[in-house]
Amino acid sequence: MSTSAPAPAPYHPPRPAAARPRAALAPLQQLGPPRILGALLALLYAWAQSGLEPHRRFLMPGWAALWEGAFSSPEVLAALWRSALETGRIALAGLAISIPIGMGVGILAFRWRFMERAVFPYLVALQSIPILAIIPLLQSLLGFGFLPKVLIVALFTFFAVPTTLLLGLRSLEPGILDLFRLHGASWGVTLLKAGLPSALPALFAGLRISAGMAVIGAIVSELFFVSGEGGLGQLLINAKLDFQYEQMYAALIVSSLMSIAVYLFFSWLGKRLFAHWHPSADTGGT
Amino acid sequence: MAATTTVLSFRNVSLTFANRTEALRGVSLDVAAGEFVSILGPSGCGKSTVLRIASGLADYSSGELFVDREHLGFTFQDPTLLPWRTVQHNIELLLELRGVPAAERQRIAREKIALVGLEGFEHNYPKQLSGGMRMRTSLARSLTLDPAVVMFDEPFGALDEISRERLNDELLGLYRRQGFTALFVTHSISEAVFLSSRVVVMSSRPGRILSEFRIPLDYPRDPSIRYLPEFARLCGDVSSALRAATVAAVEA
Repeated sequence: MSTSAPAPAPYHPPRPAAARPRAALAPLQQLGPPRILGALLALLYAWAQSGLEPHRRFLMPGWAALWEGAFSSPEVLAALWRSALETGRIALAGLAISIPIGMGVGILAFRWRFMERAVFPYLVALQSIPILAIIPLLQSLLGFGFLPKVLIVALFTFFAVPTTLLLGLRSLEPGILDLFRLHGASWGVTLLKAGLPSALPALFAGLRISAGMAVIGAIVSELFFVSGEGGLGQLLINAKLDFQYEQMYAALIVSSLMSIAVYLFFSWLGKRLFAHWHPSADTGGT
Repeated sequence: MAATTTVLSFRNVSLTFANRTEALRGVSLDVAAGEFVSILGPSGCGKSTVLRIASGLADYSSGELFVDREHLGFTFQDPTLLPWRTVQHNIELLLELRGVPAAERQRIAREKIALVGLEGFEHNYPKQLSGGMRMRTSLARSLTLDPAVVMFDEPFGALDEISRERLNDELLGLYRRQGFTALFVTHSISEAVFLSSRVVVMSSRPGRILSEFRIPLDYPRDPSIRYLPEFARLCGDVSSALRAATVAAVEA
């Protein structure tokens, strides 16, 4: 220990407070993810192209080839459009089954705890079954039509709905339940006016996951059902069989865009519904 | 004093749980119309349970209870506001549950908003309000049905001292203007003495009423009475009773 006089505490000069970059940079930050994606794609593409031997370059068509072979042709565009509609139809029909049923199961589990004990373990089990593995079974059972594809989508998208809804319902403040009980509100009124609104943010987190899965599910279902009305999945398979790799890539791009569009739609809907009161809508989303 | 109506009566009310834990033992308490009664006690003594039993949120195992639950207001420990509703719509909630028509709801809500001084914040969401303002919203909501008796379950316990004193002053204003009977649970001695016409001291488990104090200070009470010698003496009396209650609980 030194016995000399203590050194004065170090001086810290004033510094102008940094302007919060958030507001000014917001549009840039919004553009961040797509730019990163674009850069990654370009890099990956260049790397794959240069790595392929010349006689196998057709596996990775160039932008020009992609334009010539797919996006510039009205017929291909029409086919893409028809397929996208078909895939979208399957995805939406699947969601139209899984969302209401999933919400029903979530609400029942909230109402009666024994329902949770009775149903949720099987939900987890269902989730852990590789859905691809039961597709052949569905085929033998239901044939090759629209219904089995829709069921596959429903299976793909079901799990996230009741689990997130139940989580949201459980997060309701106990005091609010007391308040409703004190003023003679029925269980149904309590659910409508308190439970469901408070569960919306959690539910929408689930719906965004499900929506993305729905497009994947629809395409996967078509890979197994190469007959009937053609969707993007079928376009993919056919293009591969015909060595039309440009069309295959076009179908891939369109299906990604569809997934993104559905995800964005649910983010937007969620924001409209609860951005004014719930913090999650500010950060979770686009 | 002339004979007054008793609006709430506990007679020898006890609560014993299935696991034989005794929460309340022989609680007897009569509250007359227009009284402001505070229940003061160490935490866990069952003072909130008394309110919950009176309002029907909890059951009791023996004794008798007389109360008109049709005209009961309740202010919880937390503001218990619905975060997706504005101040105005939160205040309208109980009227909505009663099926009051929209125009009437809005009129009453505006009246209560003015009463608690929240004008200009009608369209704010709870997350945009301070803790004190949230509690004001909650108070306004509990007054929308013009209750004859209002239960307060430590409503200002989470607030800072400054907001708490201000809300105490305002609550007394509401009490005088609205003319309700109040049953107020708290663990703050000065809050209980400042607000009440009577302070009831409870001991902890099993919760019993140990002593009662009349607070002979005239209403309306000016905030400055907190610094009168008599106020300090009353706080001292209540404080020693509370200490006795805590000691009794430790020895029990």
